[in-house]
Amino acid sequence: MKKMCLLGLILAVACVGFIPAQTTQAAEPVVIGVPTSTGFLEGKEALKAVNLAVEEINARGGVTVGAEKRPFKVESIDIRDAAPGVPVPEALLGLEKIILEKKPVALVVGPFRSEALMAGMDIIAKYKVPLLGTIAMSPASEAKVKKEPEKYKYIFRTCLNAKFLVKYLAGTMAFINKQYGFNKVYIMNQDVAWARKTAEIITKVYFDKAGWTVVGHEAYPTGTSDFSSGLMKVRATGAQVILPIFDMPQSGTLVKQWNAMKVPALLAGFISPLAGPGAWKTFDAKIGGAINCNFEIGSGVYSDKVAKSKAFAKAYEKRWGGPVEAGHGISPAYESVYLLAEAIERAGSLNADAIVAALEKTDRAGAMGRIKFDQGHQVVYDMDPEKAAVAAVLQWNTDGSRTIVFPPTIADGKIKLPAGLKPVK
Amino acid sequence: MLIGTTIYALINTAILALMAIGFNLTFGISGIANFAYGAVYILAAYGVWMLLTLFQLPYPVAVLAAVGVNLLLGALIYRFVLLRIRGQALSEVIATFGIGLAILELFRYLGLVGFEYHLPVFVDKSFVIAGTYVDFQRIAIVVFSAVLILGLWFFTHHTAIGLAFRGIAQDERTALTFGIDSNKMATLSMAMGAALAALAAVFIIPLGSISPGEGYDVLIKALAVCIIGGLGSTGGVIAASFIVGFAERFTDTYIGSHWTMIVSLAAILVVLTVKPSGLFGNQKELEERI
Repeated sequence: MKKMCLLGLILAVACVGFIPAQTTQAAEPVVIGVPTSTGFLEGKEALKAVNLAVEEINARGGVTVGAEKRPFKVESIDIRDAAPGVPVPEALLGLEKIILEKKPVALVVGPFRSEALMAGMDIIAKYKVPLLGTIAMSPASEAKVKKEPEKYKYIFRTCLNAKFLVKYLAGTMAFINKQYGFNKVYIMNQDVAWARKTAEIITKVYFDKAGWTVVGHEAYPTGTSDFSSGLMKVRATGAQVILPIFDMPQSGTLVKQWNAMKVPALLAGFISPLAGPGAWKTFDAKIGGAINCNFEIGSGVYSDKVAKSKAFAKAYEKRWGGPVEAGHGISPAYESVYLLAEAIERAGSLNADAIVAALEKTDRAGAMGRIKFDQGHQVVYDMDPEKAAVAAVLQWNTDGSRTIVFPPTIADGKIKLPAGLKPVK
Repeated sequence: MLIGTTIYALINTAILALMAIGFNLTFGISGIANFAYGAVYILAAYGVWMLLTLFQLPYPVAVLAAVGVNLLLGALIYRFVLLRIRGQALSEVIATFGIGLAILELFRYLGLVGFEYHLPVFVDKSFVIAGTYVDFQRIAIVVFSAVLILGLWFFTHHTAIGLAFRGIAQDERTALTFGIDSNKMATLSMAMGAALAALAAVFIIPLGSISPGEGYDVLIKALAVCIIGGLGSTGGVIAASFIVGFAERFTDTYIGSHWTMIVSLAAILVVLTVKPSGLFGNQKELEERI
């Protein structure tokens, strides 16, 4: 009897010791790599958005890989490609490092500069790691995907690209022309691939055809911090609209100088420091009338008409203690994690080719509207959030509030001329 | 356009001179190329921002505190790091660059990036000068730069410490025979250089915003100006600031913005080809004579 009791006790202890050992063994995390310029606002906030999405997914048990639930884990690296003077090869070292050392199943956010993305596409193709890019914007990467789909099929872009940006900027200019008769524009862009391309395309496909006169065009090297010469030219040429296309922090100086030099022209384009709600304080409440195209709804601005953009904005603010300030790449970074999770679940494995095939079939109502990829693996942006992803053109009001003025499907008001500017018609 | 460009070229000159004067003072006296200069400039900017935003201190108090902290930091860097490697130029550069890198990357690591990090302008007004709008902050920079340079001239020519500075700068060994403590002077020069960086930040940062990357830009600009002018020469700093300041603005207006950097670098190359020690420098000539 004693022996039986002892045997029973040993068995019970063994069972107690064995069962928890099985249940507490955590499933191996699925690593998501975030190689980007984390020292810049867009990179910093995109990383936060990725972490937010990962926390939300993990709170629901993680991502289902085949029959197993596994948590996501984020690994990031600062590749510094957005900083002036950092050569592309240095950024690529960071990209290769995170792939080799952290073994991510996919990368999100990715390079800032299209120059770095274009060069990095071969590294990504070599290691066959899907990338859901959310910042670099040159359409040249899609052309590469279309030209050699088997090699470059791993590269996707969830943010706006330069071609789609032109649609929004052209739409805004058409509104300004129709409402106020303005037809003289001065283009100022950062001297980087996406901004150069945007300026080139909008001139060719809109300004030249719509009867506008481009009275001047300046390309500024990244890091420029004095725009006085350009602004004097704006005044001298009688330009009615300044079209700025910048994503560098120093472009905030352009806004300050536009104010200080009292340039009589409407500022309407993209300047990253103008995108978020904090800009009002940053620019001492002197940006009334300025118009900014936030590249994706949910990045720096949300709309009640796109419920998920509002839900994302509120969740971000609650998690990180402040709103999204960047106007580019943040909601796409958040959505990219969900797109990846859904693709993994559809693929039923972590095989890169299977994930790519599943990503191509994406059709999701997300924070930027409806998300679907085209042949070049670019999310389609258009004017209706029910049918495609959307950007948001907003105007700063004199009381510090903002009104979405374009596209019409999500617009809350029309463009108003700031004090001191008079319509031509 | 010509008058407007000239006005903004003068402002650009003042900004460059203000950026470079602290670096130049330290090198001119102690021979130390303080590669942490850009970092202490940014440190002061973040310091003022924190005191204003988090502690709600009045602007002048925040500025004085930041200048004081930089003064102390410059002295501490000399006493605890540079004193042991004094005279080994490469070691000095590596040590100060390392300190600068650590400071700037710490700010980046802490996530202090974004447009909310900025300093307010002193007076939010613009004036029309010869038909060109100029804001008060830029006028203040020009006036302050002029006053600072005159003040430094007076300080180095009419005060005991200033004369000791010049003594050390001219011939350290001879100065030692006159009882001038070279380490004390070098400590003071590092401290004053860092404090001048803080003052430059307080005047210049309100034109834009604070970011760790600005630290590298400031260091590069200060170096460019000092190399063209001749390392250690105040007259050289002024002349080089005029050359670069005018070259940048006139290129921007009459050639194109994207040529600005190329023309500035070409100006550096031309000056160094003709005068290898810089406009007012004499190091290369002295070496050749020896």
